[in-house]
Amino acid sequence: MAGLLNHFAVTEEQLDLNALLAGITRDSTGAAAIFTGMVRGRSSRPGFPAETNYLEYEAYVPMAEEKMRQVAGEIRERWPDVEGIAIVQRIGVLYPRTPTVLIACTAAHRDTGVFEAARYGIDRLKQIVPIWKKEVGPGGAEWIQGDHRPSPGVD
Amino acid sequence: MKIKLLFFATLRDAAGGRALDFELKPEATVGDLLERLGETHPRLAPHLESSLVSVNKEYAPAETVLSEGDEVALFPPVSGG
Repeated sequence: MAGLLNHFAVTEEQLDLNALLAGITRDSTGAAAIFTGMVRGRSSRPGFPAETNYLEYEAYVPMAEEKMRQVAGEIRERWPDVEGIAIVQRIGVLYPRTPTVLIACTAAHRDTGVFEAARYGIDRLKQIVPIWKKEVGPGGAEWIQGDHRPSPGVD
Repeated sequence: MKIKLLFFATLRDAAGGRALDFELKPEATVGDLLERLGETHPRLAPHLESSLVSVNKEYAPAETVLSEGDEVALFPPVSGG
């Protein structure tokens, strides 16, 4: 394979899904699995506030980009047919319906593990990439705390 | 020796700032740092036990030995996405 097609970023800019997809597309890629997460304005999930005005994200940017690179490496170990990987997190104040994160994987065709690879990418991002969000709603502001404690040397 | 401390999310709120230069005895470990911080910054103390620590952008256990100029970050379990 001629060079790895990777794109990692933490950005305050709007996510441009078309541009990000174009960045991991080449003549050999006929399939992409794209996961994107948006801010929910309403939630019925237990333990989450019912209403959200906005989320405020912050990141430890240089470490976040290194950990995104690590996640991409793990994806390539597990799904060697994946060609392009984009992992992008938007930070700052983000309102309901706004895309906040994008994980996209491209490959020759769909039976290469691209779906599972993108799923793995978002799961690992939520475990080890140093990003945090504060939920601001009618009841006040609250940091959302994750539940994964990385094992040093492994994570 | 001097190290650079960074705080994020709940730890930043408790520290009242994003960054701090911190003086430690040579060959101090991450565990020593947390103990010392609890003494010098009592408002951080309740958060230290549950916080994650990175040294030079890699997750680090309590027994990690620190060096002059290390960048050490303290933060809660991550919640991106």
